[in-house]
Amino acid sequence: MVSVQNVHKRLGKVEALRGASLAVQRGELLALLGPNGAGKTTLVSLLSGLRAPDKGKVTLDGKDPRNPSSRRILGVTPQGTGFPPLLRVKEVVQLVRAHYPDPMSSDEALTRFELHSLAARNVQALSGGQARRLAVALAFVGRPLLAILDEPTTGLDVSSRRALWREIVRFKSEGGTVLLTTHYMEEAEELADRVVVLDRGRVATAGKPEEIKKRVALKKVRLRAAKLPELRSARKVAPGEGGLYTIWSPDADQLVREIVNSGVEFSDLEVTPVSLEEAFLAALNHEVQA
Amino acid sequence: MKLLRAHTKAELLGLLRNPAFLIPTMLFPSMFFLMFAAANLKNASAANFATGSFMAFAVFTVTFFQFGVGAANERENPWSSYIRTLPAPSIYRNAAKVAAAAVLALAAALVLILTSSASTPFDMPLERWPRVFTALAAGGLMMGMLGTALAYLVTPKAALPLANLIYLPLAFMGGMWMPPAMLPRIVQNISPYLPSRQWMELVWAAVAGGRWSAAHWLAVAGFTVAFALLAGWAQRRDQVIR
Repeated sequence: MVSVQNVHKRLGKVEALRGASLAVQRGELLALLGPNGAGKTTLVSLLSGLRAPDKGKVTLDGKDPRNPSSRRILGVTPQGTGFPPLLRVKEVVQLVRAHYPDPMSSDEALTRFELHSLAARNVQALSGGQARRLAVALAFVGRPLLAILDEPTTGLDVSSRRALWREIVRFKSEGGTVLLTTHYMEEAEELADRVVVLDRGRVATAGKPEEIKKRVALKKVRLRAAKLPELRSARKVAPGEGGLYTIWSPDADQLVREIVNSGVEFSDLEVTPVSLEEAFLAALNHEVQA
Repeated sequence: MKLLRAHTKAELLGLLRNPAFLIPTMLFPSMFFLMFAAANLKNASAANFATGSFMAFAVFTVTFFQFGVGAANERENPWSSYIRTLPAPSIYRNAAKVAAAAVLALAAALVLILTSSASTPFDMPLERWPRVFTALAAGGLMMGMLGTALAYLVTPKAALPLANLIYLPLAFMGGMWMPPAMLPRIVQNISPYLPSRQWMELVWAAVAGGRWSAAHWLAVAGFTVAFALLAGWAQRRDQVIR
């Protein structure tokens, strides 16, 4: 359904994509993860026909997404709060659905995404959660075969997130294919058949959500010690000032046990969870702010 | 057709819900007309000449600002990127913008005709109107292209002040506010080289029922193509940057 082959794209001075390749099969839900600046948004812009790759090939169902007719199978979410300034919710839905051969009725789209009571509201007056619901509704209103959802639930509370997940699952169960980018491991775990981690413009790793989670679900352990032994359960160790070490580990309990068993003197032990963003940086072995 | 209608509707709704844009663009040319021209128009031919000039000014205001400042603001809004991901060639969106501009320009011209009819001996034979509107549409297209070029050449913040800096002199020096013979000497010398003046020559000939000279049509067509090429180049450059 989606094919990306050895794609390069330079944006101004930045090489946003440097030989990225991936494929999404029909009926599959693929989650695209990666730290900020990994190239996710650039890849989405290539797939939705906004830009052409400098090198390599991007296709939707075998066709070039730059060609408008190839995008009839595609539904995309608009970014963030990017709505037109003076239109109402229902008018925006109507404008988008007019582009597709066999769309949902506006009413059905509004009902599915709990936007019915907001139909006459100016789109700029929507709350963050309402705006995200509208964004996903716009991706689905044309009954596309493929939906590209760019961070569909960023900034939402748990219950609105779950409501949107239900609609994404429903789309998939009706045979739809989904590519979604996200900052939440939880979201990928809940929805995705497969996860691709993008890093610095290339695919760093790919696999089932559970496998990826093991690699990136890290905890951060800080302690003061004169010298640390080799630690098997540490993913990355960063020495700091005054003997303050920061260690990222997939299993903090095991790590602490190892340190205790090694007999090293330490103090100020502290274990904290790590954001996915920071976990990526540690797991992908970047420079990371301790 | 369905798409053209959907996009035109969205464009027009956006414009009609923006009174800060709508009211000044509709009333400004008529206000100018009443302040500076109406009182001195003693006979029909003078009134027709001035009304034609100010109708061009009204069309200029709508097309130049809608495409100039409007496109500059749109550049900033991610919604315009989103619209480009929908399965429709950009011709529909552009045609809808032109259609919306044409509706507003026509409305602004009508307001002016009403103002003039109420305040001057304005009286133009019916058979001249088709040529008047043809000339107005040609110039509107030219100024729309100039506005689009401006919108993509400078930053969105700079677009409005710069647009005013171009718009007022072009209108004044092109003879939209007073006949060229009444312009200061130095302006009279520059005026024939301006796109606005070339446009006015077409409008004046149509208003007076005189012949069009090919040279003025060629000049307007030349400026239109030049502005369109500049706009296209600036637009492509803008897409490479972001």
